[in-house]
Amino acid sequence: MTDAAPQARAEVRVGVRGDQLSIAIEGALVLETVGAVYESLAAPLRRAPRGVALDLSGVTRLDASGVAIPVHLFRYTKAAGGTFALSGVSGERQLLIDLALRGQDPGPRKAPPGAVRVVGAWAGDIWTILTDLLRFSGEVSIIALQIVRRPRLLRWKDTVAAVARHGADAVPVVGLLGLLVGAIIAFQTYDPMAKYGAKLQVADVVAVSIVRELGPLITAIILAGRSGSAFAAEIGTMKVTQELDALRTFGLDPVRFLVVPRMLATLLVTPLLSVYASILGVLGGFLVLGPKGITFMQYALEVRAALTIGGYMQGLGKAAVFALLVSGIGCLAGLRTGQGPSAVGRAATRAVVAGIVAIVVADSVLGSFFYTLGI
Amino acid sequence: MATTLPSSRTVDAPRGVAIALRGVAIGYNGEAIIEEIDLDIHQGEIFFIGGGSGSGKTTLLASLITLRQPLRGSIVLDGIEVVGADEDALSAVRRRFGMMYQLGALFGGMTLLENVRIPLEEFTTLSNDAMDGVAHAKLGLVGLAAHAHKLPSEISGGMQKRAAIARALALDPSIIFLDEPSAGLDPVTSADLDALIVALNHMLGTTFVVISHELASIYSIGHRLAMLDGARKRLVALGSPAELREHSPDPWVRRFLTRTASASQGAA
Repeated sequence: MTDAAPQARAEVRVGVRGDQLSIAIEGALVLETVGAVYESLAAPLRRAPRGVALDLSGVTRLDASGVAIPVHLFRYTKAAGGTFALSGVSGERQLLIDLALRGQDPGPRKAPPGAVRVVGAWAGDIWTILTDLLRFSGEVSIIALQIVRRPRLLRWKDTVAAVARHGADAVPVVGLLGLLVGAIIAFQTYDPMAKYGAKLQVADVVAVSIVRELGPLITAIILAGRSGSAFAAEIGTMKVTQELDALRTFGLDPVRFLVVPRMLATLLVTPLLSVYASILGVLGGFLVLGPKGITFMQYALEVRAALTIGGYMQGLGKAAVFALLVSGIGCLAGLRTGQGPSAVGRAATRAVVAGIVAIVVADSVLGSFFYTLGI
Repeated sequence: MATTLPSSRTVDAPRGVAIALRGVAIGYNGEAIIEEIDLDIHQGEIFFIGGGSGSGKTTLLASLITLRQPLRGSIVLDGIEVVGADEDALSAVRRRFGMMYQLGALFGGMTLLENVRIPLEEFTTLSNDAMDGVAHAKLGLVGLAAHAHKLPSEISGGMQKRAAIARALALDPSIIFLDEPSAGLDPVTSADLDALIVALNHMLGTTFVVISHELASIYSIGHRLAMLDGARKRLVALGSPAELREHSPDPWVRRFLTRTASASQGAA
């Protein structure tokens, strides 16, 4: 590898006799030549020989990369069910090649799985996920019931810390997004409604969409990005570093110790954050309508008329359901983290994606449910 | 059919100095941990750097592998001065050696084969098949051919260290640095790793620089040993491990190499 090293050369001679290939290599079989030797062997190997005889007696230099050639021919013949014979090596070179050939087994060539097998694998995966979710929900429910009976079982300190981290710390971003979404809805609906002389009814649109739908939805999506991923990463890292095993060996249940405080904290703060997002969203609507000549009193009275207790409770109920979904999915992703540092990243991604999908699906189901009930 | 191909490095190069240190001082924030290191590590040598905890072994290693500049002095690695060299020059030098970190430092999201392929993909023009072949050969050399498609998390700690050696071998470097290769391994796995280092050293002529205070490894495979003493801020011994154990004039070195407690030496 030094600049002063002499230029080396390698020659490949190939002889074909029936279905037998004889290959003789002369010169340097090293990292710099091995690529071209590979290329030289590609065409002869396409003839699918039954046997390969490799003669390395002419090799003047051999390094660990050069060994790739006998390894390649060995693996090739083994995969094809043929024979491989090596000659012209002895001493340390023989040892080097023998060492490299240990355990080399390309295995049978795998055919791509058929459609039935692929569908079956998907179904199996979905079944595993569903049973896992069911088991996890059961575990959390049982521990929640135990805590109701014996409140001392709850890690209150951790719960309060989680309320601060996932509730209070989220106030600025939730407020900003609520305000802007309220303003955007007012912007987008003002012109079409003004055509029909229903400028003031823009307040109804803003109030109903924000309080019933978008307030909880914005809050939950921020929660999935901030808290769901954080739960997965925290618990996942603890799993990778065997902290979960340490908890179990103390006789502590990770679900009670780690999951329940996080889920409870999320359940407490999400409806509050949702109310906050809704208030700022409604104010955002006024920021657009105010300059259009609508007074605050007119706007407030219109909003009050548009909202019902049922609609308000609908928003709160959705926020609570979203909180359970996002925090449960985040914690479950953390508990099911695989091995290695990249597994934590995958767990966090899974928590966010699955959390958002679950929020939207639940929103559709709950929306239809409340609509059917006429709330 | 005949192909004539260009090439460069030989494994049968005449033995010379692989790494030369002159007046090297290492430390942090301008304060030296070890000063005045003068040392030649020869080509084809299995060279151990030993010393107590906090004696600067790992800091010296960081300077040898060009990740940390020494406070003073000169380090010539494979004929190239690395102290004060710019990042491009250091980048070129780094391709001439391989490094095995204490915990393997394998890329967790990649299989062993992909881990070994990384340097080949970045620094060679080999075809995809040839890269696979070279990576399979390197994994075969360390006894992991059958595990090529596993992730690091799916194999044991000892296997991870062997895989890290295979990755360090990817570009056929003339020097391989090993940081605490025996740490956390059982004695049998540790002895297997020692045997692998000796085999690669014999067969490939690779220089191994090993940071370790594992006495069993030092005595069984070390050609020479350099001892650092953090208290005196000096390289206090250099020579064959067995010779130093029996004949070193320095009582601290003898105590270290005979695993004798400070109190018993004081009593004696």
